[in-house]
Amino acid sequence: MSDFSSSHDSPPSPAIAGDSVTTVANDSSPSDSNAKCQTAIQTLASIVTTTNIPSTISLLLDDDSVSAAISSLLHRPDSGAGDNNLCRWLYDTFQSTEPSLQLLVLRFVPLIAGLYLSRVPLRQPQAGFEAVLLALYAHETTSRAGQAITVNIPDLSHPSIYHESKGPTKNNSTCLNIAVISSTLDPHGTVRSTRRARIVGVALELYYSKISRMPRESKLNFCESCEKWAGQNGETEHSRAVIPTLSDDSWRDEENVAIVGRSERDSGRIPLPWELVQPILRILGHCLMGLKGEDREVAEAANKACQSLYLRSLHDINPKAILAAGSLLRLREMALDPKNQIDHTDISNDTVLSV
Amino acid sequence: MLGNQSTEFSENGEDESSRELCANGNRMKTAEVEAKLDEGNIQEAESSLREGLSLNFEEARALLGRLEYQRGNLEGALRVFEGIDLQSAIQRLQASAPPEKPATKKNRPREPPQSVSQHAASLVLEAFYLKAKSLQKLGRITEAARECKSVLDSVEKIFQQGIPDAQVDTRLQETVSHAVELLPALWRESGDYQEAISAYRRALLSQWNLDNDSCARIQKDFAVFLLHSGVEASPPSLGSQVEGSYIPRNNLEEAILLLMILVKKFNLGKAKWDPSVIEHLTFALTLCSQTSVLAKQLEEVMPGVFSRVERWNNLALSYSAAGQATAAVNLLRKSLHKHEQPDDLVALLLAAKICSKEASLAAEGSGYAQRAINNAQGMDEHLKGVGLRMLGLCLGKQAKVPTSDFERSRLQSESLKALDGAIAFEHNNPDLIFELGVQYAEQRNLKAASRYAKEFIDATGGSVLKGWRFLALVLSAQQRFSEAEVVTDAALDETAKWDQGPLLRLKAKLKISQSNPTEAVETYRYLLALVQAQRKSFGPLRTLSQLEEDKVNEFEVWHGLAHLYSSLSHWNDVEVCLKKAGELKQYSASMMHTEGRMWEGRKEFKPALAAFLDGLLLDGASVPCKVAVGALLSERGKDHQPTLPVARSLLSDALRIDPTNRKAWYYLGMVHKHDGRIADATDCFQAASMLEESDPIESFSTIL
Repeated sequence: MSDFSSSHDSPPSPAIAGDSVTTVANDSSPSDSNAKCQTAIQTLASIVTTTNIPSTISLLLDDDSVSAAISSLLHRPDSGAGDNNLCRWLYDTFQSTEPSLQLLVLRFVPLIAGLYLSRVPLRQPQAGFEAVLLALYAHETTSRAGQAITVNIPDLSHPSIYHESKGPTKNNSTCLNIAVISSTLDPHGTVRSTRRARIVGVALELYYSKISRMPRESKLNFCESCEKWAGQNGETEHSRAVIPTLSDDSWRDEENVAIVGRSERDSGRIPLPWELVQPILRILGHCLMGLKGEDREVAEAANKACQSLYLRSLHDINPKAILAAGSLLRLREMALDPKNQIDHTDISNDTVLSV
Repeated sequence: MLGNQSTEFSENGEDESSRELCANGNRMKTAEVEAKLDEGNIQEAESSLREGLSLNFEEARALLGRLEYQRGNLEGALRVFEGIDLQSAIQRLQASAPPEKPATKKNRPREPPQSVSQHAASLVLEAFYLKAKSLQKLGRITEAARECKSVLDSVEKIFQQGIPDAQVDTRLQETVSHAVELLPALWRESGDYQEAISAYRRALLSQWNLDNDSCARIQKDFAVFLLHSGVEASPPSLGSQVEGSYIPRNNLEEAILLLMILVKKFNLGKAKWDPSVIEHLTFALTLCSQTSVLAKQLEEVMPGVFSRVERWNNLALSYSAAGQATAAVNLLRKSLHKHEQPDDLVALLLAAKICSKEASLAAEGSGYAQRAINNAQGMDEHLKGVGLRMLGLCLGKQAKVPTSDFERSRLQSESLKALDGAIAFEHNNPDLIFELGVQYAEQRNLKAASRYAKEFIDATGGSVLKGWRFLALVLSAQQRFSEAEVVTDAALDETAKWDQGPLLRLKAKLKISQSNPTEAVETYRYLLALVQAQRKSFGPLRTLSQLEEDKVNEFEVWHGLAHLYSSLSHWNDVEVCLKKAGELKQYSASMMHTEGRMWEGRKEFKPALAAFLDGLLLDGASVPCKVAVGALLSERGKDHQPTLPVARSLLSDALRIDPTNRKAWYYLGMVHKHDGRIADATDCFQAASMLEESDPIESFSTIL
């Protein structure tokens, strides 16, 4: 335990006007980046020996057998240790600043974050996982210069591009309501336990920002991690719908609570502060409603994760999480309702066809 | 899409015979034509139509295509449409359309000549559109999108001034509206997100003369896309915009704007209510932690859309998340009224939780918690533990304002019982472990308290600041100051700089307890620098979850320093610190108390008494001030007997509020001694000495 005065963080970077541009090193020549990719692939081949490694990065990202091999390595009990080869590879690969390689690392964020947070109470050494997560955190910190991400909540009394307003066009934007969706980031060299949730939360934010590029397996991993984090809060074995509609009582009766496997599932339960819940909800929202085509398996996994999260937020009596997770569940229910599946763009099916 | 096709076939198969074709006043049954089509003989089908209904080539083809489409014979429809050269048809139409006027962008009704070509345009565009639709249903999404896009491009070419809303052909308008709505959906389905974004914006920002419902659908779809696609849309940059109008900068802003506009439309009755819109808005605003804005939106929704209980409960959740507890409780009281939904578990638990924070509401909260426990049955049995936990918290809070000692101990033991009962349901809920620990600590069962404190730190992996503070306080109450300091240092190690305030304050107090004032002053000095830097470096944009709960403010630091100097009898320093503190917060009972001690230390009893009494005027329940006045009066009572009863009643009152105040017990003992009641005095001194061995350096109640 070092003296506290020796562990000061440097003060937050001074405010930089305007939006900071992502400082991804784009100056590297194509051959350079190609070399980086080849090195990464070669190193990976020495770690993952059970399956063949494809020769290009674009193939690697979508290669299910390699992902499965890496996942099973990550699931090993000592996978998070500081001297773990795979963690080192993930760390080095992300630090290469090559966007396609970074995507490859981000693909495993759900697994890493899931295992890491759930293993914290077990007091295992996890310096390897921490190094990877800190690398993601540091990347996000530099790319937005430590600044908070804010949103102006619009005020409809001002006209906007999408609507007109009859009210007096006051030109003072001070009326806008500023909301912080991700607070300022201070650099961290180590994972201090009270900042752990924030660091993982930022890694999840980064994951979300690239989520449209992530393979479905990765999203399924995320939903699984999310269920573990929520813990056992009275779910049943049957995938009964937990719809938080106040008027609908049909889900209350029947069926018995399954205690089977309770302790096993409960072991992953972690504290869920808002700095984790918020990115989790965004990712689940994407899995439920943001996919380009219908992927039943991902949507159902996300729905289950959402139910767990909703039940957990009831147990925590966390009003924000109750509102947001409840909305997602009700939206899912509406989407499945045949009444809402009318194709409004189809022509009317007249019996009399005319010119 | 493909799955739907087969059902369409069978459905259409039933009413096939009843279909009719009609044009130019003639009618004919479709059976004959369909037979020809089924044989793959498009030309013959076409010529029979041209003869039977006196149509030209294009008209006949378009009609045939539509017939095939409606029969669900999509491949056939495509073959029919292939036969028409749509491009050249469009060019002909363009040529026949009147030359454009480079007038204003305003959507001005066109002159009659337009309607001549409207009919022809309608026919060709519909054929175009059905081709896109057929491709979509066949799963050829990208091709479909291209076809659909060319429909819209053609519309823009033919009607360069926008579509006239006065004399528009309804069928043409229908096709255009459909295409406008279909295009972004197609791009989205094909995975071409940038095209999708520009198609959405094109749909919403150009003049298509859309009806309210389809415009609302597009707005909703776009909002959902912005919220959930995970693709950051570049902000719309439009030169043609009215100056001063609001342009959203990012996805969330644009989505929230669209959803708010939609809710407003519903409220004004301009579009049909769509329940998913308010759910999307709830999600978006909650993500931004703007539930007070959400509450406003919910309040504006027209009556009759939600049941009132649903609205009250959602409003209560929103207000409670926004920290407006009073508003939330008032709403919950309505919704839990016996004529509404008195058994709603979520509402009961939320009400109990809010009440558990406020001593004056705690009794009401216990009632809600008890009802929740009674109603947690069947599927909801798992919530029984939550109900018990809330009951325990409410009872613990009630025990702070009891009517008697007996009542207090009853409440305290019931609170413990409830929390113990809760732990049977949620054996590894760290929050519950923590609350149980604090309850034990309040009752001075320090052994149990320290066990729970350690268990909490283990379960949370040390990630929650208050766990560290609690353990340090319990150790300090056990008079194990050096261990408490080790814990505090460990906690400082696990904390980022900006969250260190409460720990540093604790550390300074521990230094004082260990008679190490120089280091205590040093720690306070560092804390002061931290707090001042914090105030300067962040504006309102910083929201740190843990920091918000127990922020150390500058006033507290100055006041703590004053307190420290007063224990060192550095009265001049005390005065300086008090002046600084007074600049930040003018009226504070605790500050008046320190000031009184300063005068006391300078042997000036009149101003001392005045300061203590001022403190009592500011806060009638200020225990330190009561004790201080009592102490002063009991000292004087040595000579003037008459002040003793006053001192006694003040001290007893202080003990009613805080029965663990050892100074109060001590001075009460003195009063008894002066009055000659030696046995009573002994009891009091004994209580004081026992409490001295279990006094934490900060009250346990500061932590929960």
